[in-house]
Amino acid sequence: MQLISVTGGKGGVGKSTVSILLANKLVREGKKVVLCDLDVECPNDHLLLGVSLGDVGRFVYAQFPKLNRKKCAKCGLCVSKCPSHAVFQPSTARDAGQKKSADYPVFMPELCSSCGLCWHICPQGAIEIEKKKTGEVFFNKLRTPNSKLEAADLWLITGRSVGVLEESGPVVTAAREFAQDFARQKDADYLLMDTAVGMHCGVIRALLDVDYAYVVTEPTPLGAHDLALILRLLKKLGVSARIVLNQSNLGRRDWVDKIARDFGVKIDWEIPFSQDLVEAYSQGRLGRVDLFNNHD
Amino acid sequence: MKLAISSTGKDLNSLVDSRFGRCPYLLVVDTETKDWQAADNVSAQSARGAGVGTAQKVIDLGCSAVVSGNMGPNACRVLQSAGIKIYTGAFGITVAQALKDYNEGRLTELKDVPPGRGCGLGGRWGRGRGRGR
Repeated sequence: MQLISVTGGKGGVGKSTVSILLANKLVREGKKVVLCDLDVECPNDHLLLGVSLGDVGRFVYAQFPKLNRKKCAKCGLCVSKCPSHAVFQPSTARDAGQKKSADYPVFMPELCSSCGLCWHICPQGAIEIEKKKTGEVFFNKLRTPNSKLEAADLWLITGRSVGVLEESGPVVTAAREFAQDFARQKDADYLLMDTAVGMHCGVIRALLDVDYAYVVTEPTPLGAHDLALILRLLKKLGVSARIVLNQSNLGRRDWVDKIARDFGVKIDWEIPFSQDLVEAYSQGRLGRVDLFNNHD
Repeated sequence: MKLAISSTGKDLNSLVDSRFGRCPYLLVVDTETKDWQAADNVSAQSARGAGVGTAQKVIDLGCSAVVSGNMGPNACRVLQSAGIKIYTGAFGITVAQALKDYNEGRLTELKDVPPGRGCGLGGRWGRGRGRGR
């Protein structure tokens, strides 16, 4: 099974579009494909394919701190060490003795990144661990028209964060593991992973240990700038890259050409602007588009 | 009473930093003796939660009021839970001028937690989700 990520650095360049077009192409070639939407904060591949999210295949949990007041000595160590500043103390032993005695620390779960530092360092063992749901993994089976077969199977696995954690990396990893297990079980030929925008933790988790990554960009200065950033990241991760230039006939492509030359990466695929594609995208029928016309 | 002012520099002639959580220094002024001192704000460099860290610093310094340009909801919540008064709207003026405005009651006291995000880029690091043109 080939493991391929579709990423891009910049937002709005067409990562999801390319992922689906690629899935279409492979399905039409008679391959078994699992598409995995790892843009967990805003998954939209199902919208482009015109389906509602299916059954929940797995829930994702993370650990959060919960204070045991009986044990807490109000020392403030958790407050001073928390890397996310997700805990504060309204009155501390440190505040120059102007006020009453120290207060209990207050945890702010919306800032917590679930790193576990506080419960490891608490000298009193006063911080207990509470499990909370941070994400869900959905499962859809799609029938797509195919030239060779009557209908081919395409599976869509979607990770979605429920917004408890500011950092959604753990949801990405859980969705990815679920998709990989599933693809192995179905003996799929390809697992395509559509990543989120940017270069943050959630994107990196979708790029680790893949066979190669498609990097989608566009012929604009920002497209070229973010292309360079993501290519640098991929180099660091030891992942080989292939560039997809979307809307290739618009704007100025010399910026992108230069970055591709500098990094020694080939522009693998060019997608010219097309009104039909935009319409299919906005009407949720991208799953039926065949850019390669390799049937009939 | 001690008053903390978010500042871009280490003395009274520095400009007020209008972003509370990301200010590099906090100037702490004793309103009775007029003595003042500058405190480094290491939380300004945090990836996130800078406002909460800066607010905790204000608590640790033993201040009873804060003057700044703007403040996010998290920092506000921390300061309000500690009973610290918040005065905002100090834009483009020096710390000395802000102190004068405070003494003459020209700054507005923030009593509700403002909606939305603070001044930092937050968890997304400012990379947009644009249409791409």
